[in-house]
Amino acid sequence: MTNFLSIKTFNNEIYINFYLEDTILGVEMTSHKVLALEKTSFKGALEIAKKGTHCGMCRFDFLGSGVCPAGIKKGFLAYWPQGRMEIVKQLYSGRIKPTEKLKDIVQSCNLCGFCDKQCNFTTQLRPEKVARALKEYVESLNESDFLQVPEDDIVKGLRKIVGEEWATNDPVIISSYTMTIIPKDKELNYYIVMPENEEQVSKIVKFANKNNIPYQPRSGGTAFSAAAPTILVKGISLEKGIIIDMYRFKKLEIHPESQTATVGAGITMFELQKEALKHKLRALAAEAGAHVCSNILTTGIISTWGNKYGAFADNFIDLTTIDQEGNILKHSDWERKNPYSTEPGFTNLCLSPNVIVTEAVVKLHPVWDDEKAVLVPFDNIRDAYRLLIKLGKREVGLSLAVLSRKYLAEFLSPTLQISKDFNYVCKNFLKLNYVVSVICNKDEKKVLEEMVDYTIDEALMKSLILGAPRFSDLRDSEFMKILSEEEDPLKSIFAGPMRNHLEKALDPSPENVAQVFDKDLQDFFKKIYSKPEMTDIVWLHAFRILPTRMMRQQMFMGPGASMWTDDEDHYINWIKMFDEMGEKYKLEHSLGFISPLDHGKFAYMEYDYYYDHNNPDECERISKSLIESMKKTLIMGKGLTILNYLFKGIYRKEHVLYPIPKAISKEEEDLFDELIDTVLGD
Amino acid sequence: MVKFLSEEWIEIGKNYMLEKLDPVKDLKSITTSLLGVVEHIPPDDITMNFYLELEDGKLKDFIVNTGDSFEEKKAAYEIRGNYGTYKSILKGEMSLGIAVLKNRLKVKGSKMQALKLIKPLDGVILSLQKITDEFEE
Repeated sequence: MTNFLSIKTFNNEIYINFYLEDTILGVEMTSHKVLALEKTSFKGALEIAKKGTHCGMCRFDFLGSGVCPAGIKKGFLAYWPQGRMEIVKQLYSGRIKPTEKLKDIVQSCNLCGFCDKQCNFTTQLRPEKVARALKEYVESLNESDFLQVPEDDIVKGLRKIVGEEWATNDPVIISSYTMTIIPKDKELNYYIVMPENEEQVSKIVKFANKNNIPYQPRSGGTAFSAAAPTILVKGISLEKGIIIDMYRFKKLEIHPESQTATVGAGITMFELQKEALKHKLRALAAEAGAHVCSNILTTGIISTWGNKYGAFADNFIDLTTIDQEGNILKHSDWERKNPYSTEPGFTNLCLSPNVIVTEAVVKLHPVWDDEKAVLVPFDNIRDAYRLLIKLGKREVGLSLAVLSRKYLAEFLSPTLQISKDFNYVCKNFLKLNYVVSVICNKDEKKVLEEMVDYTIDEALMKSLILGAPRFSDLRDSEFMKILSEEEDPLKSIFAGPMRNHLEKALDPSPENVAQVFDKDLQDFFKKIYSKPEMTDIVWLHAFRILPTRMMRQQMFMGPGASMWTDDEDHYINWIKMFDEMGEKYKLEHSLGFISPLDHGKFAYMEYDYYYDHNNPDECERISKSLIESMKKTLIMGKGLTILNYLFKGIYRKEHVLYPIPKAISKEEEDLFDELIDTVLGD
Repeated sequence: MVKFLSEEWIEIGKNYMLEKLDPVKDLKSITTSLLGVVEHIPPDDITMNFYLELEDGKLKDFIVNTGDSFEEKKAAYEIRGNYGTYKSILKGEMSLGIAVLKNRLKVKGSKMQALKLIKPLDGVILSLQKITDEFEE
């Protein structure tokens, strides 16, 4: 047994490093206890880091405020704010020790604060504090504290393919991928490689096969991070081997004449949307941080624009893929065996992609000058659903969805507390539980307005964004109590005499929203909220920078998927089933959204369960609810679950959604249980 | 304990399954045949095949050959994967089911039918795990 202690000072503070080595039963086990980590700033940093949900919003410039220069230059996740947060957690847990690369990671950060602005907008976290604490910690260590990581044959081989700086076996860099493709309790038996073209990916796959090493591609990692705290982690994450980080695939070309775009696997939806808009074009909109190619591959782009723009293979003209033998293939190769079909049925589960998509040629759609956003408020889901499907079947609207009260509250509210109060006011006073959200042209707007009594127009939506803090304050007001006694409070406030009072009470302005942020960021947020796009509902629907607010400081899991719409009771019962599941497992839960597909014949529904991803008990309950709700969906029939969607995005919707699934038999139910056992199995 | 895919592995595997596995209890009285194609076997990157046939839960045939094809018998199912995947399964690091679901093993034919076989084949896998301890590196 060996213990040793080192003491040194830094910035007039004392750091104590205490190392402990144990030999137990002949197996040497080393635990590296660095008491310097107990320093207050590091503990504060750890608290911030734990709340991070790996949303990836720090990796692209969605506020026009700049993006982490170290991340852009170095690429590996460890150099990005989210990676530094993970490293702090990993150092503190003792899973990793400082390495020479850690010095480079902290030196690359100039504490510019870009990350604080971005992260604070969505999650109210301050990643710069984490970066600062990590810097201070590293600077407090002795030279001898840093491990040298020897190059092995595998990393040598990978470096031959991609160049010296783009492949690594450094445990600190590897650990930064925890919870986004690496399970939190796995030995760090991985390599990270960052190719820049398909030839390199092809060579990596062939190299991995020859050396019998598993591999898996990763882009934004958000799907992995949602699965990571749940039982799905075993099936979806990589257990060991080579992580192919697709960040360097930055090709982005807009082809206005054909209304298409060529998009590399490192491009986010936001980046594509921004370039497309310069040509008055729009892509089918996934959330801002989703990477276009991996999103197509993982579930297909699930979006409120799907009824008009399409789903699954409707969205692309061509894909460039690398198969499991390392062959470079295009969907458009005319001699190729049909790449658009997949085996139907509930057992056709895939927990890993069978190809790597390196590039996609996606369809773009015109942006019309007369596009308008309209919200139709409802107190009950049945009426909202009925209008949604009617609009879907008539093909009214470019973007079309039922959004829950919870979604509205999360999206519009700048802080977590405001979102809770916003939700309370809507529920208890206004009875505003759902809205049918429609982006449409002016003719469609007329059709819609003839179908309903009243709507929430763009001006009022703008007021709700800029007046969200005041709106939340109304929870204790007499005004709301009076309003709630009205026969139809929604009508009174959105189309009646109370509207003017509400507008006045909201006192909407960028200054007022900015005041709820940390003092040092208020000027910045005043400028941000003064930008026209921040209150442009159509822009917000297309660029989807707000949904990440659902992941502020906690995780959510959104099971659901597609169900045939013709049987209204069946659909409503499906939603009720998820609601009951949330109650049964004592989880914060809410309908997320419903959006029609394929001319309103199907509707995708996401039902969200929110949970603390650091709480093992909550994670276990999430897992149980996930499995049980999927099983019940299959027993009910006429629907597919989110598991059935996984890695089906490259196929035609006609092969995935049809034939309409029948309710599974008892025998199939047993098989489902066996499959789940397989996923869960020890 | 023997080396994966060796002559000895076949012999000991056969005997073990015949002696230790109950056709009804362990192998659910299944009748099927399976061709396992093992690719990228080190050090020379060769391919080998093993053919396994069960009738009413009783082992009828167990054959191994080297090469890209196996012509001796026609199997109902073919599963194909690299040596590392089979090694992980035989070392108990990964189940057969998860290897199929993760696309590490490719199934020729209906995935649904193949997945139905996973449970009954558990006994076979367990037997092979018990007798195999040596692998190519």
